Amino acid sequence: MPPKSSLMDRRRFLGAAAAGAAASAAFAAPTIVPSSALGRDGAVPPSERVVVGGIGIGNRGTYDLGCFLEQKDVQFVAVCDVKQSRRTAVKKIADQHHGNQDCQTYRDFRELLDRSDIDAVLIATGPNWHGAAAMYAAKAGKDMYCEKPCTKNIAQSLILKETMRRTGRVFQAGTQRRNLPHFAFACELARTGKLGKLTKVYAHPAGMQAMTSGWLPLETEPPKDVVDWNLYLGPAAWRPFNPKLLDGFNFEKGGGLVGGGVLEWGSHCVDLCQWAVNDCLPPVEYNPPVNGELVARYENGVQLIYREKGWIPLGSCPVRFEGENGWIETGDSGKFVLSSPELLAGRSVAEIGGYPATYHVRDFLDCVKSRRQPKGNADAACNAHIACHAANIALYLNRQVKFDNATNTFPGDEPANRLLGEALREPWRL
Amino acid sequence: MTLFRRLSRRMAPVLLASSVAIAPAALTSTVFAPSAFAQEKQDKEASLLAILAGDSAPAEKALACKQLAVHGSEASASALAKLLADPQLASWARIALEAIPGSAIDEALRKAAEPLEGDLLVGTLNSIGVRRDAGAVDLLAGHLAKAKAAPDAAAAAAVALGRIGNDDASKALRAALMAAEAPAAARSAIAEGCVLVAEQRLAGKKAVEAATLYDEVRQAEVPLPRRLEATRGAILARLAAGPDAETRQSAAMALLVEQLRSPETARFRLGLQVVREIQNASIAELLAAELERASGDRAPLVLLALADQAGPVALRAVRQAAESGKKELRVAALRSLGQVGDATCLDSLVANAADADAAVASAARSALVEISDPKVNDALVARLAKADAKSYPVLIEAIGERRIDAGPTLVAALDHPNAAVRAAALTALGNTVTPAKLPLLVAAAVKPKRAEDEPIALRALQTACVRMPDREACATTLAEAMDAGNVNTKVALLPVIAAVGGTRALAAVNAAAKSSDDKLQDASTRLLGEWSTIDAAPVLLDLSKSAPGEKYRTRALRGYIRIARQFVMPEPQRLEMCQQILAATSAKAERGMVLEILKRYPSVGTLQLASRLSDSADLKEDGRAAVVAIAQKLGTAGPQVLEALNKAGMEKAKVEIVKAQYGAGSSWKDVTAILRKQAGDSRLIILEGGVSNAGLGGDPAPGQVKQLKVQYRVNGKDAEASFAENSLVLLPQPK
Repeated sequence: MPPKSSLMDRRRFLGAAAAGAAASAAFAAPTIVPSSALGRDGAVPPSERVVVGGIGIGNRGTYDLGCFLEQKDVQFVAVCDVKQSRRTAVKKIADQHHGNQDCQTYRDFRELLDRSDIDAVLIATGPNWHGAAAMYAAKAGKDMYCEKPCTKNIAQSLILKETMRRTGRVFQAGTQRRNLPHFAFACELARTGKLGKLTKVYAHPAGMQAMTSGWLPLETEPPKDVVDWNLYLGPAAWRPFNPKLLDGFNFEKGGGLVGGGVLEWGSHCVDLCQWAVNDCLPPVEYNPPVNGELVARYENGVQLIYREKGWIPLGSCPVRFEGENGWIETGDSGKFVLSSPELLAGRSVAEIGGYPATYHVRDFLDCVKSRRQPKGNADAACNAHIACHAANIALYLNRQVKFDNATNTFPGDEPANRLLGEALREPWRL
Repeated sequence: MTLFRRLSRRMAPVLLASSVAIAPAALTSTVFAPSAFAQEKQDKEASLLAILAGDSAPAEKALACKQLAVHGSEASASALAKLLADPQLASWARIALEAIPGSAIDEALRKAAEPLEGDLLVGTLNSIGVRRDAGAVDLLAGHLAKAKAAPDAAAAAAVALGRIGNDDASKALRAALMAAEAPAAARSAIAEGCVLVAEQRLAGKKAVEAATLYDEVRQAEVPLPRRLEATRGAILARLAAGPDAETRQSAAMALLVEQLRSPETARFRLGLQVVREIQNASIAELLAAELERASGDRAPLVLLALADQAGPVALRAVRQAAESGKKELRVAALRSLGQVGDATCLDSLVANAADADAAVASAARSALVEISDPKVNDALVARLAKADAKSYPVLIEAIGERRIDAGPTLVAALDHPNAAVRAAALTALGNTVTPAKLPLLVAAAVKPKRAEDEPIALRALQTACVRMPDREACATTLAEAMDAGNVNTKVALLPVIAAVGGTRALAAVNAAAKSSDDKLQDASTRLLGEWSTIDAAPVLLDLSKSAPGEKYRTRALRGYIRIARQFVMPEPQRLEMCQQILAATSAKAERGMVLEILKRYPSVGTLQLASRLSDSADLKEDGRAAVVAIAQKLGTAGPQVLEALNKAGMEKAKVEIVKAQYGAGSSWKDVTAILRKQAGDSRLIILEGGVSNAGLGGDPAPGQVKQLKVQYRVNGKDAEASFAENSLVLLPQPK
């Protein structure tokens, strides 16, 4: 009789997968040794290359693209954007980098996804498309680095997680702070009990304001080849062309009635808080804000506090973790403040300010090859996004809401349950 | 008051205070006061349905649909379903139709789908799938059967059936999969539907049925991604508990091996991914066997998957690869020993850590640090006694990195003739030394036996000091060493004691700043300028007046300004610090910095101080700009704000109001006359009641977030601006 077997539950799977890479050092050298380090004159053999395409490459996407192109094993072969000017600009960057004219341009991302030679895609469209595009990419068999916020509501977050699992894809949310040493150190202190029993984790949502997009008057619509308005709207409900809605960044950010709320920054700093609590399931109780603090509570009693003020000036995206024996606060400056220097315990933590995405991209590429789960994997992203969306629902309803992680609903709370998801415009589906 | 307004007031006053752009947020007005949710729901639904039934503009109907998602009931079904044939409003209607519970909605969607075609039909079928309407299986199966004629609708129907997932849905999907008549796009969706059903069966403990479904998909003529998904499921379903476990598990392993040996990269990657989802002792054996036959490119990847399994089988195979594999494999294996290894791996790791090849050495050193077997620490220290010249530095470094308390051994190494060994020992001591042994490191830093060791010793000392549990005691030890040393010693130890921080350290650095030695003054004032706690403020203020030399007095004052600018403190304390700065200097640069602080922390207090600063001739312009900036951030035109603005001497200008509108969406009211009446010779327009219904003569768009949009002219130059509710109407200077 063969040995007793069982399916490993997802959390254990992710934990085991991440164990080797995470260990204690945030910046262990990549486990897979690039051939450039093996004296092959810097050449990367085709078997080690990751062929990448880009979907929706504007300002943020161009930055991300730069991080990808820094990696010698990346071959960027295609770009898709609804805007012609961006397609042209990105092709120029890619072709210059590779010294050829091979980067193909597409208006419709489905044509790019149909290419069998592409291993992975960079999705930096704008929040309206992030989640939907990621799921189309997964169903096309592509791995993906997807900018945040990755989903527009709780239902999308759950479907994202299940789609990545079902399709066996490597998903990296654009939560690059998970691969920066000071944030990793702070989360490690919280996770490993160095702060004592954890009591509170703080995130800085930086503006708990709703940001839904509207129906503005029709203006002259450019030709489809210049701007494809229909594809830009994508899963968002129909409205006439208006250039004021074309910025991508703010368009239909949160979707639904709830708006952006804590999502824009929460998808970073709440995500870090989730890491600090060992990527457990999201909080079960969310209260409306009082004096600029929205307090949520995890099943184990730890509080997740979305706090606007009272931060030590350590740069944007600050987080703070408090335990019974100590605390740590850090932010985008790369610096951190400890309740006691003893917590450093002889460690030297590299100070990297400016939240670069390079290490996060490298983590993703390594996982594309190894099939380990990257730091910003779909399960982690799902939980962090639910924590943001549920907080937004408490903001919207202006009362406490209780979330049940077993049923993924707000039991007995129909008003809140109606805000779990939102229909996608035809013909799109998840 | 709408929730959005309340949230805006509470959370984002700065962002909404003033804007020259018209916010594209017409629909934000759909947000309602939550307290009204239950009480007004029925009335609200009726009024929203009236909008849908009337001649309102499409934008208003869209808005009404979105509100019905919250306020609607089954009574809205018919009105919403009618919109499903409207290309502009169908997507809005489905937002409500997917959100409202009740069988009447399901029935309305089914009925509405019948005459629809194209994308509108696809959208409706998608919504039926989201609602998992079991009553729609026949309808959906009908669309599956018409896949040749309408492949997109068939695809939508297939995924909807997959979500419903009952036996009838499964039957329809399997029949469609077998029929092989559908176009490729629909076939992919049919396969997706089958996999969705299989996932539900597997989760519902019906593994055999799930495996059958997965097998049918992986053997069908469908796109590769669908077959890969089905293959993953087929493996996992066979490993789930159920009848014929042995046979099914053997089949699962065979299927897994097939993936790992496949020439197709996608299948190989699938195999690597699936092994990480399985908790089964035989997986390690399987991977170990595959490692032996894997090609050069694939072997390191198989090894990583094996390392993730852990256990004795994995350890044996990884060790073997570390000793005899190709270089790429050896490097991956050595590094992986940090994950799976134990104390028995130390000989190999220590030897490889001293390898001439940097990649090999680095991998082994990394493993020496990460390996978690509790026996490793003692084993490393024991090896030190009999270490040779090559392994000695490796062991010392590992001891330090692992923070093993090996004091005597490390102290002995400080006399080693090899500089690299001494450096490693110093670094290790920095990581491990206890408070009682701290003077050893102090001595090594201030009286090094070899000059080349000094910088390393100082770094080690600082590393040690910042982790000492009693920092005051630590600072006292350092201060005593400083007192006993010469100027160079003091200068060397100043950054160390500053890094420790605390009362004693602050006093020591302060004393150095007040010394008569320029080197000490220079070093200490620099350190104080970067002090990380607020208690340095009085020291810096004192030095700004008493430090020997203008250069250091200015530096101290700027350090004080830095604290006022950056640190968290109560508003009165910050204001007091600003007052102290102004009392301490008449220099324009530093007083300008005060203005920057005031702008950064807007309050009535900072506004009044900025106003006072604008009185002085050299800061008149900057001060006025600060007053305006703070007033805008405060967002209200209270008497103190007005007084400050007036005092700031807002320039007189010829202001003409061309047109002013107040409202939201498609409801705007002309308020030109009201603004013209209030406009004077200043860009600041005082509205009694502010930008509000009261100040602008009524509510043109009840229940919506409104804006004031103004076209105006200042000294003949045209401009326009918009203002959120309750903001200050300060017309921007036209460019």
